[in-house]
Amino acid sequence: MRRSDGARLALLLTLLHPVLPGGGGVAAAQAISQGFELERQGRVEQAAGLYKTVLRGDPTNIPALLGLERVLPSLGRLGELLPLVQQALASDTGAAVRGLAVRTFTALEENDSVAALVRRWSAAHPGDASAWREWAIALEDRQRFEDARAVLLEGRQALGMGSALAVELGELEQRVGDWRAAALAWAMAATELRQLPNAVNQLEDAPADQRELVIRTLTVPGASIPARRIAAELLVGWGQPGRGWETLSATLDPPTPETALALRRFAERASGASANVRRVRGLALVRLADLLPGQLAARMRVEAARALLDAGDRVAARVELAKLAGDPAAPPEVQALAQTALVEAALADGELDSAAGALARLESDDRTSSEERQRLRHELVAAWIRMGRFDRAEQALGADSSVEALALRGWVHLYQGELKAAVEAFRSAGPYAGDRDAATARTAMLALLEQIDAERSPELGAALQVLARGDSQAAVTALRRVAGKVGGGRPDVLLLAGRIAARVGGSQEGMALDLFEEVVRIGGTGAAAPAAELEWARLLLRQGKAADAVTHLEHLVLTYPTSAVVPEARRELERAKGAIPRS
Amino acid sequence: MKRREFVKAVGRSAGLAVGGDFLGLGSLAYRLPDRPTADSSLLIPMDDAQSDHLKAYGVAYRVIQAGGKAEWLLNYRGGSFLLPDAPAIRRDAALNGVAVEPVDGGRLSAVRGEIAGTNADTVPLEKAPKVAVYVPPNAQPWDDAVTMALQYAGIPFEKLWDPEVLGDGLRTYDWLHLHHEDFTGQYSKFFLIYTGQSWLAEMVRFNDAARRRLGFASVPEMKKAVAGAIRAYVDRGGFLFAMCTATETIDLALAAHDVDAAASFADGTPMDPAADSKLDWSRTFAFSGAHLEPDPQVASFSDIDGHQVNAGPRRQPLGAFKVFNFSAKIDPVPTMLVQNHREVIPDFYGLTTSFVRERLKSGVTILADEEGAPWVKYVHGDLGKGTWTFFGGHDPEDPQHQIGDPPTDLSLHPHSPGYRLILNNVLFPAAKKRELKT
Repeated sequence: MRRSDGARLALLLTLLHPVLPGGGGVAAAQAISQGFELERQGRVEQAAGLYKTVLRGDPTNIPALLGLERVLPSLGRLGELLPLVQQALASDTGAAVRGLAVRTFTALEENDSVAALVRRWSAAHPGDASAWREWAIALEDRQRFEDARAVLLEGRQALGMGSALAVELGELEQRVGDWRAAALAWAMAATELRQLPNAVNQLEDAPADQRELVIRTLTVPGASIPARRIAAELLVGWGQPGRGWETLSATLDPPTPETALALRRFAERASGASANVRRVRGLALVRLADLLPGQLAARMRVEAARALLDAGDRVAARVELAKLAGDPAAPPEVQALAQTALVEAALADGELDSAAGALARLESDDRTSSEERQRLRHELVAAWIRMGRFDRAEQALGADSSVEALALRGWVHLYQGELKAAVEAFRSAGPYAGDRDAATARTAMLALLEQIDAERSPELGAALQVLARGDSQAAVTALRRVAGKVGGGRPDVLLLAGRIAARVGGSQEGMALDLFEEVVRIGGTGAAAPAAELEWARLLLRQGKAADAVTHLEHLVLTYPTSAVVPEARRELERAKGAIPRS
Repeated sequence: MKRREFVKAVGRSAGLAVGGDFLGLGSLAYRLPDRPTADSSLLIPMDDAQSDHLKAYGVAYRVIQAGGKAEWLLNYRGGSFLLPDAPAIRRDAALNGVAVEPVDGGRLSAVRGEIAGTNADTVPLEKAPKVAVYVPPNAQPWDDAVTMALQYAGIPFEKLWDPEVLGDGLRTYDWLHLHHEDFTGQYSKFFLIYTGQSWLAEMVRFNDAARRRLGFASVPEMKKAVAGAIRAYVDRGGFLFAMCTATETIDLALAAHDVDAAASFADGTPMDPAADSKLDWSRTFAFSGAHLEPDPQVASFSDIDGHQVNAGPRRQPLGAFKVFNFSAKIDPVPTMLVQNHREVIPDFYGLTTSFVRERLKSGVTILADEEGAPWVKYVHGDLGKGTWTFFGGHDPEDPQHQIGDPPTDLSLHPHSPGYRLILNNVLFPAAKKRELKT
């Protein structure tokens, strides 16, 4: 301590001494504040002196007692707290002093004293678990886990309730790593509805190798409904949504007031992006909608249908949407949402006439925004284009002069083999039309078309349209056939064919390797050759041929040092060598 | 099995963590010009013209590993390297995305002239140091900044642990790195906080198994012996580089040679209440006069660390630290250790983040500190025939590093000035020894 600090502290203590006994509440508060500051500075000895001075004037001053509880252990002088606590207990039997006494007695291993105190405290407040809780936690803090467990069980018996102190018992078992016992305790705690979220939050920390044990414990035959609902939520969080839904489903009949809450919680837990998670979310919301009245049910059904659509379960989604369409209780905006979803479902199912009809009904009123209707119309047009129904696409576009419509017309030109017109349309549409995927696809296609000298090529258009329709193998064959007819664009067309073949995988991988090899051989200094070599290396990596991939990546970096794909190649090189950590 | 037999059996079992051929080292084993010549040399600039500062160290290392001579141009363009010009070196640099500049005789003369007339100097790099990393056998390779830096730069290293250290396995290495090992044997004092976590259980199991096999009464006793062996290694001429907890705890372990400074959860007996007064600071590398943290539940070891990241109200916020600008011609050793393209670097936490100035022994060279703060970040000193360097903090590119965080991907931080300080240390032992004034 610096001399000036010591002088200041001495002065403060001198000033406090006559003031505190006289009820100097303000002075005591200032002293406590000063004590905190000393603690913060690590000057715990001085802080202890200050707190003791406060207690000389006010033996039950809680902040001072707690301050000593904080600082004396680090000085190895906790024993000095004992007489002060006993003095405080003589005149104050509040929970704060009693709690402090329990902790102090426990820390000093005054076992008989603490047991007597807790039993007196418990007897004075029947039904109050505070005394047992305080004692158990104090024992846990001293690493006396067995003793803590015994105290909790004794407390439970004294309190006469099977679920008493279950939370504390659950936390204790978790702390010692006994996850089966923790699951049992939390299942008991969750018989109080408000403890269900805590139970799930605590048990979800179980290490991976303990999770199955937790689930089995919570779902043994005869397990309570709360236990099984905890298991259901845990399973969703642990990546087993289907099993979670099965577990929850078994607890839903007959419905009780808690059933809706359980379904709502389960649906909220199932907020992940995978199809399986979305599907169980949809199923839970459907059951929830069945339990809710009128408009609430309609809104829930829309949410359920959306989740099912996102999960790719269009059959189930359309069932819910149809229910909504015929539900007079559904408010107009919900019906609009349902009709929008119906169009999307029909589009996803490839039922374009049905989608067109639903869209026409949607356009006959103003329940959806014009932007939403336009978005759906463009999706319908894109679907017609993919199907090769250019007449229907043009008809649906009508006089639409938006940039999105311009971009769509570019695809029509392209698939009809009008390459120059397609390029002009894509350029006019600019880089921002449609969503990011659409813009990326357009840019990639522009890059390909710019390598091709011909203004028209119905064969190339047809080959690309086969690809758009989703027939990858036929597209590879068609693109290879047409590659010889597009002049300087041959490497780029073969590269595209190779990429498709690589993505198809399986028996097409050999074809992809041949195509990449050909592009590297004939590609000269153009952009296609390094891009093909990168794809080649990636395919080799997927096949587990890291050494061969490294050879290609090194060749790429050294042969095409100015290529735009060199940074990607370097990263693949690092990955191939195992120098990039797997997250 | 007796301890000695066990040591003998496992003392040579360290595995090669990075295969030389896989890194393309074989391809460098062409005939290289002995040293940069007046006719043709390659300059690896280490200022902002460099496209991958970290991999540049690997290129320089591989040149000297292949028998070539290199020069470290201290304080010249961020601490550049001058290498012989050879196709294999150009290829290595190109593959790793390291910028090189061909230097002809005229330009080389100009460079040397500039070095002669400024606070700069050249240091020949002649022998690739053989690198060992002290790490438990179950450690993830990504959980240690130095391992990551070595791996990313392509500098080969071998892993060793307590059995190898106690089996005199350090004898064949030039450079040893320690990271977040707790040499007080208290499992980083996570034992109470993370009870029940499987990674902690595994750490305890590994250490306890090693203790039993090596014949020690407790893990803290075993770690004291390991700390002593490491000290002896430095005393014989080894280069020691330590980060994070290893810095603070190796000194605490050395100082506590004859006293129980470990909590009861680690060795079954409580810490000696008078441990502070029994610590022997004459044995330590960097620190003296520290006070041990007595509370087993506070994940702090002593008051050596200025930031006290896990000590509740004692925790201090992160700032930035500044590396000192030494005189290259007078103090080449510290100059090498601080070569960088940045002077001020954002600080980063570790279980030991920094070193309180008042706890440093006299004679310790401060390499970097936070201006106005009572702590320093990066220190260096000599012990016997060897040297040691301590760098506080865990991961320069993950300032708040938490257990379970995803690993740092250094390809996203190729210019990291913090990682450069680590790699300076790896090349430092390659410098040709000469009469040094520091």
